[in-house]
Amino acid sequence: MSLQILLNGIALGSVYALIATGFSLIFNILKFSNFSHGALMAFSAFAGYFIATQNGLGLVPTILVAVLVGGLVALFGEFVAFRRITIKNAPSTYFFVSSITLGMLYEGIVTIKAGANFYNYPRFFKHATIKLGELIISTSDAIMFIISACTLLLLAFIIQKTRFGRALRSVSFDRDTAGLMGINVIRTIQITFVVSGMLAGLAGVFLGINYTLYPTMGSLVVKGFVASVIGGLGSLPGAIIGAVLLGLLDSLSVYLVGSGYAPVVTLLVMLVFLLVRPQGIAGSNILEKA
Amino acid sequence: MELFLSVITQICITIISVAGIYVLTGLTGMFSLGQAAFMAIGAYASAIFVTKMHLPFVVACILAVIVTVFVGFIVGAPTVRLRKDYISLVTLGFGEAITALLNQLTPLTGGASGFSGIPQITTFPIALLSALIVIILVAFFKTSKYGRQCIAVKSDELAAKAMGINVNAVKMTAFLFSVAVTSYSGCLYAFYTTYVDPTLFGWKKSAEWVIMVFSGGVNSLTGSIVGATVLSGLPEVLRFLQGYRQIVYAVLVLLIINFKPNGLFGHWELTIKNITALFSVKKRKGVKDRWHF
Amino acid sequence: MALLEIKNLYKSFGGVKAVQNFNLELDYKQIQGIIGPNGAGKTTIFNAISGVYTADKGSVIFDGKDITTLPQYKIAHAGIGRTFQNIRLFKGLNVIDNVMCAFDPKSKYSIVSGLLPTPRRRVEEKRGKELCEHFLEVVGLKDYRFENPENLAYGLQRKLEIARALTCDPKVLLLDEPAAGLNPTEVVELTELIGSLTERFGFAILLIEHRLELVMAVSQIIHVQNFGETIAVGTPKEVKNNPVVIEAYLGKEE
Repeated sequence: MSLQILLNGIALGSVYALIATGFSLIFNILKFSNFSHGALMAFSAFAGYFIATQNGLGLVPTILVAVLVGGLVALFGEFVAFRRITIKNAPSTYFFVSSITLGMLYEGIVTIKAGANFYNYPRFFKHATIKLGELIISTSDAIMFIISACTLLLLAFIIQKTRFGRALRSVSFDRDTAGLMGINVIRTIQITFVVSGMLAGLAGVFLGINYTLYPTMGSLVVKGFVASVIGGLGSLPGAIIGAVLLGLLDSLSVYLVGSGYAPVVTLLVMLVFLLVRPQGIAGSNILEKA
Repeated sequence: MELFLSVITQICITIISVAGIYVLTGLTGMFSLGQAAFMAIGAYASAIFVTKMHLPFVVACILAVIVTVFVGFIVGAPTVRLRKDYISLVTLGFGEAITALLNQLTPLTGGASGFSGIPQITTFPIALLSALIVIILVAFFKTSKYGRQCIAVKSDELAAKAMGINVNAVKMTAFLFSVAVTSYSGCLYAFYTTYVDPTLFGWKKSAEWVIMVFSGGVNSLTGSIVGATVLSGLPEVLRFLQGYRQIVYAVLVLLIINFKPNGLFGHWELTIKNITALFSVKKRKGVKDRWHF
Repeated sequence: MALLEIKNLYKSFGGVKAVQNFNLELDYKQIQGIIGPNGAGKTTIFNAISGVYTADKGSVIFDGKDITTLPQYKIAHAGIGRTFQNIRLFKGLNVIDNVMCAFDPKSKYSIVSGLLPTPRRRVEEKRGKELCEHFLEVVGLKDYRFENPENLAYGLQRKLEIARALTCDPKVLLLDEPAAGLNPTEVVELTELIGSLTERFGFAILLIEHRLELVMAVSQIIHVQNFGETIAVGTPKEVKNNPVVIEAYLGKEE
């Protein structure tokens, strides 16, 4: 039984990890919590549905459409909601408020097309579950885990080994100096948004597969937020660890107290965690200088 | 006319909560995504006190506010000293927890189907008067030592401490004031709409209030009130646009953030001095609308 | 027993030894200076005194009490006021309200008076305003009291910080590079002001400065810091002629 909970938790965690990573990328580079990330997931997932799935195409085209749409819409969102205040160096609260509003915009557009209905992806897989001895793993969970893991490894490679990755890290560390060293800061920010949007698209499709598609599914961005904080704001590996832990925590809470009370357990655990280790798992304690 | 009065009444109720958010976020710089949960506690508690314990409305309201402030104290004490992002997170989690509890405790709260059968006691005059009183209280707060210390804490916490300001106490005061006021607005709300359910008080509602404060002018009480009025009234006015309402709303706010990020009012307050300055012939050529965050 | 005694103060950040074995005895009406190249740990000493950091080792004894581990605001209440190297004025408040913030923690009215115009509030606010205007006058800013701090010239902003610190009713005033960014005339003005403060108010001043003409003019004793260590302590004359000090500033004669 506990192994099943563990597997569920990891599967959940891998999806949360996609959300948390996309979320964390933006936090790193612009130092704010991008609350439009969730609505973007919904937007992309629905785009995948209406463009690919409804036309009879399978999982891969759906993912491709969602990822593409996610990236492009993120680019648009960066320009419309964040460009001006980035240039003017506004405090992070302005970005936060702008991102919430941007999320409302995305959600509004989805609602026009989809109404308040629930949609379901068709069954993408021939066999719904895989049996490993006594354990039952749902095929979708397994595929999601594999794709998530590969995507995150690819992302890690990009960030550590490519020129863009270096630019991303520099701008995240010190935007002005990075600009002075010749890095095109705006371009770097744009590309980061595109990557984050692509991750959102992928996460959206997975969430759609796991649950259902509904216009307000963007609320799940909260999971990304929580995971990033637990992992330590500003640390990508931390966000992933935080996401997996959160997945396990959610899975365990649902088992222990049922899905009704699960949010209460999560809150209490979070509070205790923050009191004991406020910088998160991988974060660092930044002392303010006078 | 009926509809018009109904809209104004709802606006007044929203203004009360937004005034609380102004103190919490505008003056003190704390970002809570769970203030709506306190509105829920106020609403449900007063509803329970009246319908199930048969207490008179006024007593029920006072008790509900006291209960909510008590809860606020428990939540606030460990939370206000955290980093800004963490405050958002913890208050968000708290809001979700409250929603979950309201959904689960069905015999007491009606669960997911909501709490109905609340007598309608809130009238337009009561709502309007309450809103005016709260605005006046907040105005006095802002010009008092409490308001000044809040602004100091928002501006530079380290320097505030160095001047002897007990930052945690200041934050708690602002937080609890906001909780009390939001809770009262919940009481008025429950006894106006006669029905409440857990979905009304999520993080989106809290976020809406913050957006109203920022759109009107995060540093201006006048601006926050105007922001609340316009952005509450707008969905009603735009009713004919139906599905497109949320999009128009979002576009409008994005325009404000892009082109007037200090909000429509910036720092301007509705004071006698400022109004006469507007009409004065010798207009001072002041410094241009600065990026004064 | 001196007013402020610092004994064997140590503070490190990770591998960086910011302050090593700093000692000081400061009494009423005294002015002492701390000089040294950038990165010598001078502001860290102030931060350890005022409670921004807690010392790793050693103690800070103020007015007979050990304040080493006290939180910042309690240290301020005890009677230590300070200014900052990078000006930290409160945005969103005008000049007089900035100064009022230092009076407010001591203002004696409750939240009820915070929400309503009670007589007690009027009395306390008046008392505060008068006190603040007094200190603004001392630094010469009374005419600017309704201005926004961002609109003030740099030198005036520095004076505002001093007025604000004075309102804390300090027994010891910590001034962190008060002359940074000032032109020569303003430095002379500032020198006169600092010199007059101890006479007028009777408290002690501890001063971090790079402008040697200011420090030499007002201090009775100067501590010279380099890489966290005290390389010399003495009167201005002694320090000026100290070969170790000269080497630290100008390098060794080849």
